[in-house]
Amino acid sequence: MKKTPVLKIEDKVFKNLDGKGDWGIKGYKERGGYKGLKKLLTTEPTKHIEKLKDSMLRGRGGAGFPTGLKWSFMPPADAKRPSYLVCNADEGEPGTCKDRDILRYDPHTLVEGLIVGCYTIGAKASYIYVRGEYYDESSRLNQAIEQAYADGLLGKNILGTGVDVDIYVHLGAGAYICGEETALLESLEGKKGQPRVKPPFPAGYGLYGCPTTINNVETIAQVPPILKNKLDWWKRWGRDNNHGTKIFSVSGSVNKPGNFEAPMSIPLKELIEDYAGGVIGGWDNLQAIIPGGSSTPMLNPAQAETMLMDFDALREEGTGLGTAAVVVMNNDVDLIAVMTRISKFYAHESCGQCTPCREGVGWVYKLMKRLGEGEGTQDEIDMLLGITKQIEGKTICAFADGAMWPVQGTMKHFRHLFEERIKKNKTKKSKVA
Amino acid sequence: MTNTVTLKVNGEEVTVEQGSSIMDACKQVDVEIPHFCYHKRLSIAGNCRMCLVEVTPGPPKPTASCAMPAMDGMDVKTNSPMAVEARKGTMEFLLANHPLDCPICDQGGECDLQDMAVGYGSDRSRYHEGKRAVEDKDLGPLIKTVMTRCIHCMRCVRFATEIAGIEEFGATGRGENVKVGTYVEKALISELSGNMIDLCPVGALTSKPYAFTARPWELERTPSIDVMDAVGSNIFIDSRAGEIMRIIPAENDDINEEWLANTGRFSYDGLNRKRIKNPQIRKKGKLTDITWQQAFKTLKTKLAKIKPEKIAGLSGGLHSAEDLYSFNRFMKEVIKTDNIDGRLPNISMRGERGGYIMNTPLNEIENADAVLLVGCNPRFEAPLLNTRLRKLASKNIPFATIGEKLDLTYPVTHLNDTPKELEALLDGTSKFSAKLKKAKNPLIIVGAKSALSRVDGGCILGLIEKIVKQFKIITPEWNGFNILHQKTGHIAALDMHVYPTDKGMHTAKIKTALSKNELDVLFIYGDSDAALRDLKGAKFTVYIGTHHDAGAELADLILPSSTYTEKDGWWVNIEGRVQAGQKAVNPPKQAKEDWKIFRALSEELGNKLDFDSLKQLRSLISQTHEAYKNIGEIVKNDMPKKMGVIGKIKQDAFINPITCFYRSNEILRASKTMLECYEQTNPKNIKEAS
Repeated sequence: MKKTPVLKIEDKVFKNLDGKGDWGIKGYKERGGYKGLKKLLTTEPTKHIEKLKDSMLRGRGGAGFPTGLKWSFMPPADAKRPSYLVCNADEGEPGTCKDRDILRYDPHTLVEGLIVGCYTIGAKASYIYVRGEYYDESSRLNQAIEQAYADGLLGKNILGTGVDVDIYVHLGAGAYICGEETALLESLEGKKGQPRVKPPFPAGYGLYGCPTTINNVETIAQVPPILKNKLDWWKRWGRDNNHGTKIFSVSGSVNKPGNFEAPMSIPLKELIEDYAGGVIGGWDNLQAIIPGGSSTPMLNPAQAETMLMDFDALREEGTGLGTAAVVVMNNDVDLIAVMTRISKFYAHESCGQCTPCREGVGWVYKLMKRLGEGEGTQDEIDMLLGITKQIEGKTICAFADGAMWPVQGTMKHFRHLFEERIKKNKTKKSKVA
Repeated sequence: MTNTVTLKVNGEEVTVEQGSSIMDACKQVDVEIPHFCYHKRLSIAGNCRMCLVEVTPGPPKPTASCAMPAMDGMDVKTNSPMAVEARKGTMEFLLANHPLDCPICDQGGECDLQDMAVGYGSDRSRYHEGKRAVEDKDLGPLIKTVMTRCIHCMRCVRFATEIAGIEEFGATGRGENVKVGTYVEKALISELSGNMIDLCPVGALTSKPYAFTARPWELERTPSIDVMDAVGSNIFIDSRAGEIMRIIPAENDDINEEWLANTGRFSYDGLNRKRIKNPQIRKKGKLTDITWQQAFKTLKTKLAKIKPEKIAGLSGGLHSAEDLYSFNRFMKEVIKTDNIDGRLPNISMRGERGGYIMNTPLNEIENADAVLLVGCNPRFEAPLLNTRLRKLASKNIPFATIGEKLDLTYPVTHLNDTPKELEALLDGTSKFSAKLKKAKNPLIIVGAKSALSRVDGGCILGLIEKIVKQFKIITPEWNGFNILHQKTGHIAALDMHVYPTDKGMHTAKIKTALSKNELDVLFIYGDSDAALRDLKGAKFTVYIGTHHDAGAELADLILPSSTYTEKDGWWVNIEGRVQAGQKAVNPPKQAKEDWKIFRALSEELGNKLDFDSLKQLRSLISQTHEAYKNIGEIVKNDMPKKMGVIGKIKQDAFINPITCFYRSNEILRASKTMLECYEQTNPKNIKEAS
């Protein structure tokens, strides 16, 4: 099989992702940043949207919704109701740390993306909602924005094109749910961060009731290079519907964890071996891999062997690309402990607004904990799976789905671990008796 | 038609207006969908997940029918396996952490959760983990909380923010630990908070005064009208064996929607406290119980040698039309005096109804596009008028007040606190003139008590009259001229002509005569208003009423009458709408229905009034009064040709008409619950007020 090439610097969107170069405007410009921006701001916005549609850029925040299509939902500019472009930098999915590196090492990619994005959707203001824990990163981002203002790249009449864009940075307060786009809008408006009931969708009724588009940091930052280059520059990577490059955050039992920009549809095994230095103890020591952040169901070694890292391939296997945060677990890892911890995380982060999630996610965590300790019965393992189904798809937002999938994934591949523990505990108890 | 959509509900085709929810569509074909968080008068929350239904085409998961708009071609299945499974799942989650303490819960028997658990719940729990316990909140003397029972539907929170205007009530915490309550630990201060009890679908918020006193199936329900303010809120009086156990609102979209102010809801314990139950006579300064025969005899002897012009009568604010009609005729035809007044002091209005009621019906107030309040405090004078004004204010229309600076729960422009502003409005120097002029449907509300019941009240009305003309507040399509009364009796008195018709003395003159000791006999009929205090000075004072309050203190003879819960009555409200209330319980001991007292007394005094039954009495009233032919309806009322007078206006500020919401009539003053509310709202200022 042909190996996926390792990306060269000119192929990358995030040329300073490793943080070795200058994060500031000078360094960014030296790397080719802001070049051709003026042209982008004088081209018809509809052309941009068409090109984005053709590029098949899909949202990097986890859901993989086609960005060009999303932007085309925005109604035309209206004097009474301004449009907004909101950037979701509330990166909270366990395992994910790609936006963090963009914010601290290459913040101008985002700034340029926002300028182009605002122009394309007809917004004059953009809000960046940064995760509360990313305090240092937000300061860096603010410095980058100041540099851009000083350079005439933000504010009124950018580069003499007549385009006005202002960017505001808002720091969250540490709730995972505020990464859900409508909860993010509520939080931005100063309310309790709870997802809204949809419809209406943000494109019609978003921030302050105005048309709003919300995109992930990586997605927005990828827009200018796509628009500046020929379509082929982007589409040569990845399979149909899954083009371009993507940052993968590889962590866990690997020799060289980190954020790597790689072509879409790269085989998982290549990603781990070529980029992340391989599994600790060798590929054969692999127990399971979470492919796209904690909410995606895990893969067993057999699946991991041939898996391609893109939206469609992973969906076919019943999991997802999510945020492309690959968590590798080798045989040294207590898998049930990991999954119980993930359940605890979701129980803690449920906003508590709607019933199944509020009452159910906590219940699932308690069951996971109890069953994982060998307390309980075989029937309760079935019940646990039943409860996850009872929660999935019944809630206001996708949080509960994301909280249930990993449990379902565990059940799919590693149910025997629970059964063994319960059995062992039973025999131990009967011996004592 | 383009603004309707057609869809199928369980195979049946239904057409609804665009923008309706799936739940609305289901309702139209009588398919009931279980729900907790949805409430037709509150915003959509979509959080209980009980109303899930299956919708095709759409994602392969159930949809919340309360929040999803109905769309053309939808196929809705409310009882498909998917929908029923989803609801059963939700019910299991709701019950997982619910304490299931129904036997000791006051909501038992009228609990949504209980009812729906019968349909969707299991007979045993699969939840074997530790249950959640939540600390209770102190929400003051009216609302009892058992927060462990809360199912987080947020109805109370939405009511507080959207209707009552309390911003400090909400949810804190996340996930399993979400808690509903005030953000900062403190009592909930709102004149409408009691409605949260009705809204709460479980037993988390229940009525504190009603706690553990009755079960709903023991109660007998009587429809009636609230008289604690003059809005005419529809109520149900729930009684058990002749004792009133609670009062709750009844639905009437045109009037109170389905709300009730706390005064109407919680004051029922005042009905029997400090209550006059027997005729009494004062002997050596002490009141002694007597029989009706003795009372009549005493009065007959007393009146025998007295000239009618030395006799006067005043009536209070809690009377029905029948009460005042019989009182008026008794005074004028039996006693033969013209010294009678049932209006607020200095109110000179009489004649056409348009001059003393609210001409804009409550359900049309929302059409106004500019509002001016003059000397009134709708928040306390008519809380459910205030909720309508609040809705109006949220539309960002020009909204100004003249009078004391008040917190109406919504932002208003305070212009000035003296009548000077009225003149400024007229000559265009007021900043509100232009805005009022621009309005198509301007609304002006003038407080009867604060603005008109002052010495220069007539002149102020004259100015208002000019404003009405100059700013075109009355047009053929719109009548935005409104007088706001706080008590139904004062409106009924105007309807029943309880005022001097010839040369008799009106309230202010009667008071002067009293201060000069010129009156021989004074009849005080009810004493709900502070204006009826200080009536010392008559040689012999007869008090007809229900409570040992200021009037009874002065009385030489007391005749016990009945409260609004103890008689069938026609109650007129601020809009001039007459509504019938029914008798829920009997008056205590020897107390009698009011009209019977006057009728019996007239016979004793040898000049029998011409009605022997309530039916006859009512037909007499409706013969002369148009509004009393159309009970429950709003009739078209004529505007008087001339209302006020031109004269010198005093530049005193308008005084807030209600200094204490919870103490403003004799029933409220007798109520222990209301006293607790008063102490809560005025912790440092416990003194009698009205």
